[in-house]
Amino acid sequence: MRELSLHILDALENSREAGATHVELTIAEDLVADRLTITIRDNGCGMNEETLARVTDPFYTSRKTRHIGLGIPLFQAAAERCNGELVITSQPGKGTMLRAVFQHSHLDRAPLGDMTGTLLSFVLGGVCDLSYLHRVNEREFAFSTAEIKAELGDVPPSHPAVREWLRSFIAEGEATLIPLSV
Amino acid sequence: MNLRDIVDQLALEVCAAEEKLDTEVTGGYASDLLSYVMARAKEGNVWVTMQSHVNVVAVASLVNLAGVITTEGTKAEPATLEKANQEGIPILATKLTTYTVAGKLYELGIGNEDIDG
Repeated sequence: MRELSLHILDALENSREAGATHVELTIAEDLVADRLTITIRDNGCGMNEETLARVTDPFYTSRKTRHIGLGIPLFQAAAERCNGELVITSQPGKGTMLRAVFQHSHLDRAPLGDMTGTLLSFVLGGVCDLSYLHRVNEREFAFSTAEIKAELGDVPPSHPAVREWLRSFIAEGEATLIPLSV
Repeated sequence: MNLRDIVDQLALEVCAAEEKLDTEVTGGYASDLLSYVMARAKEGNVWVTMQSHVNVVAVASLVNLAGVITTEGTKAEPATLEKANQEGIPILATKLTTYTVAGKLYELGIGNEDIDG
């Protein structure tokens, strides 16, 4: 994919489809160790060992409509192309953890891309709560949709005014990290 | 024009699914970004790429491509060739660059007007 954010959105949607009510997304950019690590942890239905062993196989999918699923295989290939790896662990009934590691400076590493749009699309897309943390060396931007929703009370996040506020809140938070995040 | 004509004209090495070389080619598409191939290539196209991962076979099968030309001497992994044989996706190898292969395909009259308009 042209942007890592597209892989992230795809993985977040997997969590939602697994029935997760809470997802933790951490993006850690360590420019000293030259590593970019994306971690997604959910409390969805999880997978047994047999299914887990097959999620990186493009000819396996939980969909019944066709026999090919490329979300995870493409994410894994992107990480491996950049001297990294993709690891998934899971416990049935407890949840799933996905971690993708990239060499930060690798020439073929796609840029992180539009995280504001990605986060907004996921947050507005349904009831699943998101805890987000983006770290670039010592700098951090973090938020939790559960806390935001608590402050909003009865106002839904999809309300136009809330949506606009969310967009600028996320965009401004991400912008504080930009000078180092290439 | 079918794949066998292309194999002959470009002196390609047939690495998988030789029995599918009679497939008619509807056009061509060149990219190493698999997500783009998935979204943009059309059924029956021949795909030119230097990627050789098993994901290539998955994308080709999903889009119903006629076949894949791997360029610059890229050797597909055994797992890729095995899947390609199972799925009936011809893998055709060449030392030529993607640029040159696309040029030669155009000379043979294989364009991609369906995509570029």
